[in-house]
Amino acid sequence: MFPVLTLLEYAAAVILTLWGALGAIRNRPAGRGLLGFAAFVLLLLLVQLVVGIAAFGGHSGTDPLLFFGYVATAIVLMPLAGVWAFAELSRWGPLVLMAAGITVFVMVVRMDQIWQ
Amino acid sequence: MAVSYSAMHSGLGRGLTAVYGIFALAATARAGYEFASKFDQAPLAYSLSLFSALVYIVATVCFVLGTRTSHRIAIGACLVEFVGVIVVGALSLIRPDLFPDSTVWSAFGIGYGFIPVILPLVGLWWLRRVGRAAQAASPAQV
Repeated sequence: MFPVLTLLEYAAAVILTLWGALGAIRNRPAGRGLLGFAAFVLLLLLVQLVVGIAAFGGHSGTDPLLFFGYVATAIVLMPLAGVWAFAELSRWGPLVLMAAGITVFVMVVRMDQIWQ
Repeated sequence: MAVSYSAMHSGLGRGLTAVYGIFALAATARAGYEFASKFDQAPLAYSLSLFSALVYIVATVCFVLGTRTSHRIAIGACLVEFVGVIVVGALSLIRPDLFPDSTVWSAFGIGYGFIPVILPLVGLWWLRRVGRAAQAASPAQV
């Protein structure tokens, strides 16, 4: 896709996963830092959406429905996980964000494969 | 009584509910894409994608509700899911000609890190635990 943005997305998904796991292991609810970071992951995905739309014109060979389907699904997933983690005052909040981090990572891998 | 079945989405059940939710979302998006863009290429595989999405949605809703009825439906959903993964997984290997394209359950869920085959087993184990605890709390309700 776009090397810098893609690398940022991978790094953010990994950090979200580890941060979530750490919170769950330490038996703490998701704090402001973790929730803020989840919002940052969402922001990256929104940037991905905008950049994707902007760059799609001069691009052939990529199925738009498939590519933007993944982007849109990830964009739907993150706020759901974030709201859940915000409302959940137990270790399961960070765990939900960890699951979201793993999912976003896999989805970015797929986006990268689809975008050729 | 209602309180004890709400344990379905407490503790470990929270994690299970989240994973079911993610699968419901992912499978629905996948089936929606397949139906919208290329249904003719592999109708059986794509219909199974849609079916798996529905099973995941039913299971997620049942876990969230956490009532006696939803506990029973969730057990059914997990059983359907497990049988589905085994049958589709085996068929996809024995009769690949039936599946020109893969489904969520192809090769026992290899495309999803084998979570599709593990998830219903963890789900059934958890539901049995919750069910037993709920019955112990109020034996009159069978």
